Formats: sequence, structure tokens, C-alpha cells
Amino acid sequence: MQKPINFVKLLKNYRKGWVAISDDFQRVVFSGRTLTSTQKKAKNYKKKLYYFPSGEKYGNFVG
Amino acid sequence: MSSVHGIPYSQLPGITSKIALAPLAPVTLFHDIYEFSGFALVDSGSSGAVISTIIAERLGIPWKKIPILEGYSVGGTFRSHRVENLKVEIFGHSFQLSVSVVEVLSPYRFILGQADLFHQAKITFEEYKKQFTLEFRKFN
Repeated sequence: MQKPINFVKLLKNYRKGWVAISDDFQRVVFSGRTLTSTQKKAKNYKKKLYYFPSGEKYGNFVG
Repeated sequence: MSSVHGIPYSQLPGITSKIALAPLAPVTLFHDIYEFSGFALVDSGSSGAVISTIIAERLGIPWKKIPILEGYSVGGTFRSHRVENLKVEIFGHSFQLSVSVVEVLSPYRFILGQADLFHQAKITFEEYKKQFTLEFRKFN
């Protein structure tokens, strides 16, 4: 079983934009106002990163 | 490589309550020389995969040059652009899929649905346990 990913904790200190999350899903490694700027910061980072938008609310989503 | 993957629902920032829970899976998309890794909502109510224009641009997809399609959802109509044969990788399992690049997509920017992941794996949602399981099919 994969460990739970707590985006509430991960995204707590980040405004609207994008974050790059470590491959163990436990910490934010880079962040930026846009996906492009976040990926630029991560350009020389060797490990895999997973990108996710920050500053969003998900509570009332119906799909 | 195991073909069965248990995944707890992810905790996400809510609105009225502090936490929302959703079935998200870590996924990598490949297009030409580009790749994007993120978290896709596994949505049994979605007919197929959708990504936002921002993700499409980072994958080098010229979505503005692809003809517009009118789509329908519970929220009304939307404009999308169809892209065929992207490679996707989930827990070491790879397959091809088609995606709709949707012009306004929020809050989830990446969704997998019936036409793609649900053909590749048996998916069991256990809402009462706040987890889901992907059991990938074995193809000869």
C-alpha cells in the first residue's frame, strides 16, 4: 500500500501556483507562480519530481 | 513488478471543511521528447483522459492548432482539443492513451477515465476505507 499523500500539509505554505513534489511524495522541493517557472527551477535536479497546482480548493468539486 | 497497487485517497485542501479526499495516482505522460509527472484524478465518471492547456504546453503539444471539439459535462459545455497516442506510465505500467486538452479545467488539471485507465486495470474503489486499488491486466 502506498503511503497516503497529504496535500493539505504539503501545500499549506504555498500561494496560487505550482509545486514540485519529491518522488516519495513527502516534501515540496521547488515552487513557482507557473508550471514553467517551477520546472525551470528544477532543471538540474536529478531525481523525479511530480508537479501539482497549489492554492486550489477541492471541497466542492462534483465530477 | 507487482500488478496490484493499493492507494489511499489523498488529502486535499477543502473549502467549508478543512480536508477533501480524492483518489489520485502518480502518473507520467510522455509526448515526443517531453514528459510531465503529476497526480491524476482517477474518475469513473469521466469518459476519458483530460489535461489542462498548461500541461499540454509543457508536453510540447500545439493544442491551439488542433481543431476545437464541443464537449459536455454535468457543468455544461466545454471546448477541447483531441490528442492521440500519448504514452502514459503508472507504477511502472505503460500504455498509450488519447487525451482531451480542455481549455478551462479546474481544480483538477489531469484526469484519467473510462477510455484509458479503466481498460488497463481493474479498479476497486473502497470509499469506506478511503482507498482504491489498481490491478493491472496482463496482456500477452
